[in-house]
Amino acid sequence: MNTLMNVLFFGAIVLYFIGAVLQFVGSSFKKPGLTKAAWAVFLVGFAAHTVYLIVRGVVAHRLPLANQFEFATAFAWGVALIMIILNARFHADWIAVAAMPAAFLILSYAALQPREITELMPALKSAWFGFHIGSAAISYSCFILAGAAGLRWLLLARKESADSRKLHQMDYMAYRLIAVGFLLLTVTILTGAIWAEQAWSAFWTWDPKEVWALITWIIYAVYLHLRLRQKRSGKVMAWFAIIAVPVVLFTFVGVNTLMPGLHSYG
Amino acid sequence: MKKIWNFLRSMRFGVILLLLIALCSVAGSIIPQQREVAYYAENYTQFHPTILALQLDNIFESWYFIVLLALLCLNLTLCSVVRGVSLVRDHRFVQRVGLLPNAKQLTPEGVEKLRAHLTEDLHCKAVQTGESTVYTKHLFGRYGTFITHLAILLTVIFGALALYLPTLTDDTCMPGESIRMADGTDIHVDSFRIENDAGDLDFSSEITVTLPDGRKSDLQRIRVNYPMHFGPYKIYQQTYGTAGSITATNIETGVSEDFPLTESVFLTLDGVSGLWYDTLYPGYVQDDDGNITLINNVVGSYEDPIYQVQMAENGEYISMLAFPGDDLEVGGLRFHFNDPIDYPGLRIKHTPTVVNALLLAAFLLMTVGLYITFFLQPVLVKVDDEGYAVGGPKPEGMRLSLEALLESDEHTPKEDL
Repeated sequence: MNTLMNVLFFGAIVLYFIGAVLQFVGSSFKKPGLTKAAWAVFLVGFAAHTVYLIVRGVVAHRLPLANQFEFATAFAWGVALIMIILNARFHADWIAVAAMPAAFLILSYAALQPREITELMPALKSAWFGFHIGSAAISYSCFILAGAAGLRWLLLARKESADSRKLHQMDYMAYRLIAVGFLLLTVTILTGAIWAEQAWSAFWTWDPKEVWALITWIIYAVYLHLRLRQKRSGKVMAWFAIIAVPVVLFTFVGVNTLMPGLHSYG
Repeated sequence: MKKIWNFLRSMRFGVILLLLIALCSVAGSIIPQQREVAYYAENYTQFHPTILALQLDNIFESWYFIVLLALLCLNLTLCSVVRGVSLVRDHRFVQRVGLLPNAKQLTPEGVEKLRAHLTEDLHCKAVQTGESTVYTKHLFGRYGTFITHLAILLTVIFGALALYLPTLTDDTCMPGESIRMADGTDIHVDSFRIENDAGDLDFSSEITVTLPDGRKSDLQRIRVNYPMHFGPYKIYQQTYGTAGSITATNIETGVSEDFPLTESVFLTLDGVSGLWYDTLYPGYVQDDDGNITLINNVVGSYEDPIYQVQMAENGEYISMLAFPGDDLEVGGLRFHFNDPIDYPGLRIKHTPTVVNALLLAAFLLMTVGLYITFFLQPVLVKVDDEGYAVGGPKPEGMRLSLEALLESDEHTPKEDL
C-alpha cells in the first residue's frame, strides 16, 4: 500500500511540474497544442492526487487533514480543484500559468514534511475536525488563486493590446475568489471558536494561529471593503491580492514553524 | 460636529481600526504574552522597559487595544444603524433602476433574448416602471452587508462577554472523591481512565454533578472535546495525573488507611520514624547487572511504576525503591505499596448559558450574512425596447454575465459610428 501511495503522491508532483512547464512554454510562445497538453497532464496529476487523498483517508480511517503534510496536500488539491472548476465553468484557462506552479510548489512543500500516518490525537477527535480544517484548506486555496489572478492581471495589463474585457474578468474573478475564501475563512474561525470552547473552555485564546487567522481575515476584509464600497479595481486590487498571499502562507507555514502554541500539532 | 459623526461611521474609520487591531495582533503574536517580568528582562534586555511601558507583554488586555475594540463597536453600530435605516426607508430603489439610461443598446432580437434569459433562466420577477421593465431577483440580498456588520458587532460584544464573564477553576480529584464548589455544587468523579475501549490514548472521567438545589445529573462520561454541561457549570476533561498509593496499617491496632500521594509526604506515628514518600516513577530499565535506570516521563498509564521512598528510623534515613505489591515495616506501621491511581484534572467553568447561546446565534448570523452578501446579490436589470442597464448595489457580476450572453446581439447606434 505504501508503494502505491508513494507512486500516486510523487506521480502527482511530477505531473503537476510537467503541466506547469508546458503551460508556461505554451502561453509564452502562443502554442495552443502545448497548453492543451499541459491541461491533460495536469488533469492526470489531479486524478493521482485525488486517489492518493482517498487512499490515505481510507488507510487512516479519518479525513487526511491532521498535520502539516496532510493539510498541505489538501491545500494543493484545493488549488488544483478550483482551478479546474474555473476553467470548466468560466473558461478561465488564463489562471493556469500562475496556478499550476502554485499547486506544484504547495505539494512539493508537503513532500518535505513527515508522511507517516499517525493516530489522531484526542484533541483532534471532534465533529468539527473536518469543517474547521477543510474550510481552512479551501479558503487558503481561493486566496492563492486570487493572487494568481492578480498576477495574470498585472502581466496582461502591461501589454498595450490588452483586452479590457478579459482584464475585467480577471479582476472580477480575483474578487469572487476572495469573497468565497473570506466566507470559508470566517467559517474556519467560527467553527474553530466553537471547537476551542468545547476543547479548551474558551472561544478565543489569542493563540498565534488564531491571531494570524484574524489578521488574514482583517486583510481580506479590507480588500472587500475597498472593492465593494470604494469601487476600487484593477491594478491596486491586483497588487493587494498578490501581497496578501504571503500573509496566508505565513498563517499556514510560518506560525506552525516559528510560533509554538495550541495549534502546534497542525 | 457633523464631520466627526461622518468620520466615526465611515468605512475609512472602520478600515483604520481594523488595520490597527491587525498591527497590535502582529505584535501580540511576536512577543510572548503574559510572562513574568524576568522573562522580558532576560530576552529583550534593552527593550524590556519599552515592552512593559507599552503593555506589549499583555497587549490583548491593554487599555488601547480595548479602546480600539470599543471604537470598532461604535463604528459598526453607527454604520449598521445608518445602513439599516436607509435600506428600510428606500422603497423606490426598483423605480430608480427603471430610470437608468441604457448602458448597452441591443437589436430587437437581443432584447427578446435578454428578456427570455432573465425570466426563463434566471427566474426574475418583472416589474413594469414606465416604459421599461425592471427584472428583479434576490432583493433581500440588499440586506446582506447590513446583516454581516450587525453580526460582527454582536460577535464582538457577546465574544467579549463570553471571554470575561465565566469563572474558571482548575482542580484535580481522585476517583471516588468529589470537588465542592463555593456555591455548594458537588462534582463527583466516579471513575477515570486513560485509554478508550480500542486501547487508544483518550482521557475520560465519569462524573455526576449535584447542584445546591438538589438537582442531580446522570452519570456522564467527559473527555477531551466532550465536556459535560449541567446547570451553570461546564466541566472539561483538562489534564490527568498519576498518584502513588500506599496503605498504612498500624501494627498494634490493625487500623488501616489509604494514602493517594501526589507530593512528597512523611507517613509516621511519632514524627520520627516512618516513611518519606518522595516520588513515583512511571517506569524503569534494568540492565544485565541489575542496575536500574529510572524513566521520568511517559504518555498515558505507567507501565512499570516504581516508588522512590526513604525509610526513617531513629534519625537515620535509607533511600530505597519499592514496587507495587511490596510491603515495608517501620515505626510501628506496615506500609503496602499499591498500584498507582490515575486521576483527572478538571476545568470547571461557571458561565451564563445565555451568553454562549447569543454568541453562537451571532456566529450563525455572520455566516448567513456573508452568504447573502456574496452569493445572493440582488439582480436588478432594466430592459426597454432599445437596450438594457444593470443596477443595484453590486451589479458587476450580472453585467459581465449579460455582456457574455449578448456579445453578438449588441447594436451600435448610427450616431456613435
